[in-house]
Amino acid sequence: MASEVGVQSDVTMTGGTGARTLHLKLLRKQWQILTLQTVATVALIAMYLEVVSTYVVGSIDHTMLFDSIELLIGDQLPLGDWLTGEGRDGMGRFFVPLILGLSIGGGMAFLAFQSPQMQQRIKLGFIITLIVMLVGRLIFSWLTGMLFSFDLRLPNDSELQTLQWPLLMIMSLIILFIYLLPVIMGTRGIWGLSRRSIAWAIGFTLIFLGIHAILTFPLIRGQLGSYGAQFATLESQVSNPTIGLFGFKLVTQEQFNLITIAILIMVFQESSYGVIRYLEYAYRLPESCKRDPEYVRQMDNLLNGHLRHTIGFLGLTAIATMIALGFHSVLLEIVSNTTGSQWAGQVSESIELTLTYGLVISALMFLSLMAIMRFFIPWQRVWGLIQSRLPSNETVQDGGKDFIQFDA
Amino acid sequence: MWTRKASFTFTGGIALILIGMMISNHQMMILGFAFIAFIVVNSWISGHGDVEVQRKLSADNLYKGDDLYVELLITNRSNRKTQLLEVYDNIPHEMKLRSGLNQMQLNLRPGESARIRYVLRCPLRGHYSLGPVSLRARNTFNLSVEEMYVDHHSDIVIFPQIKDIEEAFLRSRTPKMYTGATTLRIPGQGSEFYSLREYVPGDPFKNINWKAFARTGELMVNEKCRDAVTDLYILLDSRDVARIGTVLKNPLEMSCVSSASLASFFLHRRDSVALAIYGDGLSYLPPDTGDKQYFKLLSALAGVTPKGSMPLQAVTNSLSGRFSRGSPVFIISSCEGDGTVPAAVRDLVGRGHEVTVLSPSSIDFERLVSRIPRMSYEVLKLERQNRLTTLAGSGAQVIDWMPDMDLSQALMQVRGY
Repeated sequence: MASEVGVQSDVTMTGGTGARTLHLKLLRKQWQILTLQTVATVALIAMYLEVVSTYVVGSIDHTMLFDSIELLIGDQLPLGDWLTGEGRDGMGRFFVPLILGLSIGGGMAFLAFQSPQMQQRIKLGFIITLIVMLVGRLIFSWLTGMLFSFDLRLPNDSELQTLQWPLLMIMSLIILFIYLLPVIMGTRGIWGLSRRSIAWAIGFTLIFLGIHAILTFPLIRGQLGSYGAQFATLESQVSNPTIGLFGFKLVTQEQFNLITIAILIMVFQESSYGVIRYLEYAYRLPESCKRDPEYVRQMDNLLNGHLRHTIGFLGLTAIATMIALGFHSVLLEIVSNTTGSQWAGQVSESIELTLTYGLVISALMFLSLMAIMRFFIPWQRVWGLIQSRLPSNETVQDGGKDFIQFDA
Repeated sequence: MWTRKASFTFTGGIALILIGMMISNHQMMILGFAFIAFIVVNSWISGHGDVEVQRKLSADNLYKGDDLYVELLITNRSNRKTQLLEVYDNIPHEMKLRSGLNQMQLNLRPGESARIRYVLRCPLRGHYSLGPVSLRARNTFNLSVEEMYVDHHSDIVIFPQIKDIEEAFLRSRTPKMYTGATTLRIPGQGSEFYSLREYVPGDPFKNINWKAFARTGELMVNEKCRDAVTDLYILLDSRDVARIGTVLKNPLEMSCVSSASLASFFLHRRDSVALAIYGDGLSYLPPDTGDKQYFKLLSALAGVTPKGSMPLQAVTNSLSGRFSRGSPVFIISSCEGDGTVPAAVRDLVGRGHEVTVLSPSSIDFERLVSRIPRMSYEVLKLERQNRLTTLAGSGAQVIDWMPDMDLSQALMQVRGY
């Protein structure tokens, strides 16, 4: 039935000065978006450092590779030690390259927001610099040599020697780039809003973990001989758990680190993809909707919800994984405490062998129980009840009498 | 329902656990467990579409080409948040969004409301229905999705456009002293009381004089003085052949616009207008005057679709008994594919009617959508001219209406009635 229908509101009419809209220029500076991007960046760095500290440092890190190359060529590589981290111990080797990776990723993200013409110019400049750096000295010395000797000839050995430095430089940079690939692509993906780059960062990390897992498989590791011995391996035997919740020791420090890597991967993925998804949605809205306070308010709701869920649900995921991994020990402790029988001890000895079916079955049993619990405990209603009791500062905006002229 | 992402995550998790077990790798297993835990934890809270939807329209009826303002109010009546809820208001594909958007992503708290406002342009006449409202509830990480509908519809009628017709273009051959209704002292359709008479079956109940019935015990009806109005009869051709041309520009659309404009013109003069639409059948609206008749006419014209192949003579044969003596008849037809038109026109003229044939040029409409060779066009045009000349020879006023010609301009060709 026909009734009075208000026209679409417009922040310029209702919001006064400093009114918010869903234009990308403004939205990119909104605190929720910046927080999500910062969370994603922190997760990326933490994930990288965690992976590096667990698998790479002192085992297959870039400084060891650089040392081997320097030994092979009998000379220093062009990149300075202060930059590569050579000569430092432990994670100290990765701090400067990490900053370098973040800078390169940030630079690439910045480049992505320039005009196509500017991007083309910068890329062209970079390629020309690379070519000049690679063969510039050779061509210059070779041509001047031919000019002064007034002779048409091929470059001699001393002139070809000038290629060594740029080639080594490029090789060092490529090695560093490969080591820093997750950081560079991740940073570019988060701040340059590129899904592909984020997929590269996650994919590279997972592929690395996969290859590492295969190479450290005892059978293959044995075949690799001295090379295989260099790989950092995780103990297949679980030691006594030291980290836990509610008085129960659930996981070892080693397992906790691995859980941290898994959770950080998910935090990075969900935050960075979330930002892109919301910005894409805002970008596709027509101009009138970008200026509509209703859309702005709902975007706030979505972003706040995403932030809360990123922290809450991924935190719960970490806890659930910890409990799942330590569930067998909880069960055994309960049985032992209640029955006090020898049986619990015997089962414990057999089940505590790591990677046994027992651990996996108990963990999956716990997760299945958690999944089934949703049918018995009305989480959503409980949460809704809490939410409805919380004071709300969001008011329903009325139609108002704000009239604007629509353009066709 | 799980999304593709959830399925991949779950399958990946199981695969990682199994591979991790096979190659005794902790990291793979823990990554797998974390993936599954992620799915499990997220399954606790999913989005929902338990919302109340109200749609307000700026009008129930519009004229073709007008803008319709729509407001959709979505209220979360449940005790939990909706999570990521996509709302999409289904609109007829004939309507175009002019401003705003008929969809929104929202996350409503319990009791919270959101308004979606948009403007639709209605370029085609017809009876339309807005709705249902499609909802798609997701959880924040897009692991579960549920699609549903709120069966909420709003009906709207888009009337044909009304073009202004100037009085000067419709000059009367026999000038009346006063335009519009003049009361005559004879019974008939009108507004003033004439007399009481006995009820006969078929008389409308609203005419029964209940006081007289109470007094006499017999059913009596009021008779009105006949208003001396012009009864205009419009015969609209909606045969299948009338669809030739584009969606916006075809003989049927032009016929509807002209019918509505003529009806509007005469009804504003307080004349009576009748409408007969023939295509696959005949629908007839008897002559009457006033706003109610105007609304009925426009509603009937809004719903006209091209179909059927009923000949004009079948129409005139069945309706000629109902036509008032000497009243003007407007035949709006392209006169294509109907060999009975000259005979029908001759018959009407012979009965003393002032017949005007308003004929949209279907050949020129066809040229808008397909290329007709020049020679063929000339031949077809000549055939049409001959047909129209035959009609003119039968005593009808004939108007050859070209696609780019305004209605007022076309009516200038007629020399009054």
